[in-house]
Amino acid sequence: MPNMSLTKVLADALDSGVNQIGQLRILRDPIRVHHIDDYDLDTLKVHTDPDDARKIGLYTPDGEYRFTKGELSLKTGWLFKLDSMEDLRRTIDQFYPASLGLWNAWKNDRIQIQNLRDKLNRQTGMYRHARNVSNEGAQELVKCLCGPSNKCVKKILWKIDDENPLEDSEASRFEGLVGDVDESTAIPMVCQEACNFFVAQARKKSKEEFEAKEQ
Amino acid sequence: MEFTPKPKAALLIVGHGSTENRDSSAPYFDHAHEIRRRNVFGEVHCCFWKEEPSMREAFYMIDADEVYVVPDFISEGYFTQDVIPRELGLTGPTTQVHGKTVHYCDPVGIHPSMTSLILQRTDEVAPGVPQEESTLFIVGHGTGLNKNSTKAIKDQVDHIKTLPNCRFADVIDTYMEEPPFIADWGKLAKTPNAVVVPFFIADGLHSYQDIPVMLGFEKEEGLAASQKDVFRHNPYHLQDKTLYYSAAIGTEPMMADVILDQISTFDAQHVAH
Repeated sequence: MPNMSLTKVLADALDSGVNQIGQLRILRDPIRVHHIDDYDLDTLKVHTDPDDARKIGLYTPDGEYRFTKGELSLKTGWLFKLDSMEDLRRTIDQFYPASLGLWNAWKNDRIQIQNLRDKLNRQTGMYRHARNVSNEGAQELVKCLCGPSNKCVKKILWKIDDENPLEDSEASRFEGLVGDVDESTAIPMVCQEACNFFVAQARKKSKEEFEAKEQ
Repeated sequence: MEFTPKPKAALLIVGHGSTENRDSSAPYFDHAHEIRRRNVFGEVHCCFWKEEPSMREAFYMIDADEVYVVPDFISEGYFTQDVIPRELGLTGPTTQVHGKTVHYCDPVGIHPSMTSLILQRTDEVAPGVPQEESTLFIVGHGTGLNKNSTKAIKDQVDHIKTLPNCRFADVIDTYMEEPPFIADWGKLAKTPNAVVVPFFIADGLHSYQDIPVMLGFEKEEGLAASQKDVFRHNPYHLQDKTLYYSAAIGTEPMMADVILDQISTFDAQHVAH
């Protein structure tokens, strides 16, 4: 791994014009973070502790639990005023866990991608049945769970397995950038392995497939 | 136990997490927050089996070349012996992996300093209640699948009984799914008072719903812990006894000290300074 700290990587990205990741707008001098859909910053509730970000990200505006942090459902109405680039990095990591590190590893070609079969085959307990989902079922799940239409902001890096790439769809084409922006101004969010929400749905899907065969 | 700061090292706290329970990961982040506040590590991170960030994402977040991994788990078992080493690529107490030196500590629940945490919790939940007239129950899950899952609790009970300042009439290990069952607390307690401490890291279905149902003061249906105050209605009067019920031991803020103690113990055993 390179020695450059993620804080420095983030600072360099901001220097080059980056001002967004996911639904976060990042401002400098002074360092601030707010929701990309908030414009009148004077009306927002101010936070200074990066750890507050996790609590803000727990619920959707409708009060639903946001299990998947990459969901396009971050509530508005808050503003982080931060003292340092280190605090900015921590704030981003609390909203979008590991997003900066995964992006940095991906752009430097150091990321170890976990294909879906690898992930499913490691599940135990009630989730061990998720591995029985068919390739067709898994491809369907990608189309109905991933990508911006299904409220996920991440670019999928994984395949079903080495022989089975994801079928072409909005989800498989999505670049991990929210809104009409490009990589010169936004950090893409990358998905190195299927999330546990996907695993839970794969378990349900495999059950449906099993029951359909029995009938 | 005094902790020597490690400003160049990172701490990685590993938890189980849950796909459904929003309260499940809160204690881990609280422990991380407290240790961060003390400024004893260069970086403090959490990762999970069932939540984000996952264990396989964890090292991407970390800059430090030296990492202490502490399983915020209550006992030795499948997760600490199989899942965590596999997911993080660990092969022993210290592993060179991902270009880092990674130290793998024992789970917090088996550290001797958990004992003082339990006793402090009993004082908080049943203040002024005479211990001579009380039975302390420590409740675990229990499963026939892994003997280690009950060992941590049995060890705590044995240790507490030997303490000169322990005045409880009796201290009993009990379980949800194997004998002695917590559901039998009324028969097991020979005293007018009972103090019940769930030996879990997080308040989840077990501590806010299952165990209260077994104790007899809740019905089957329950809400998430954050929506319900089962721990704040003490005491409960049941079976001609007075019962005091604690939140899960892992929600105790002093768990941060146990995490640091576990690291100090690791250093004493494995790292030559």
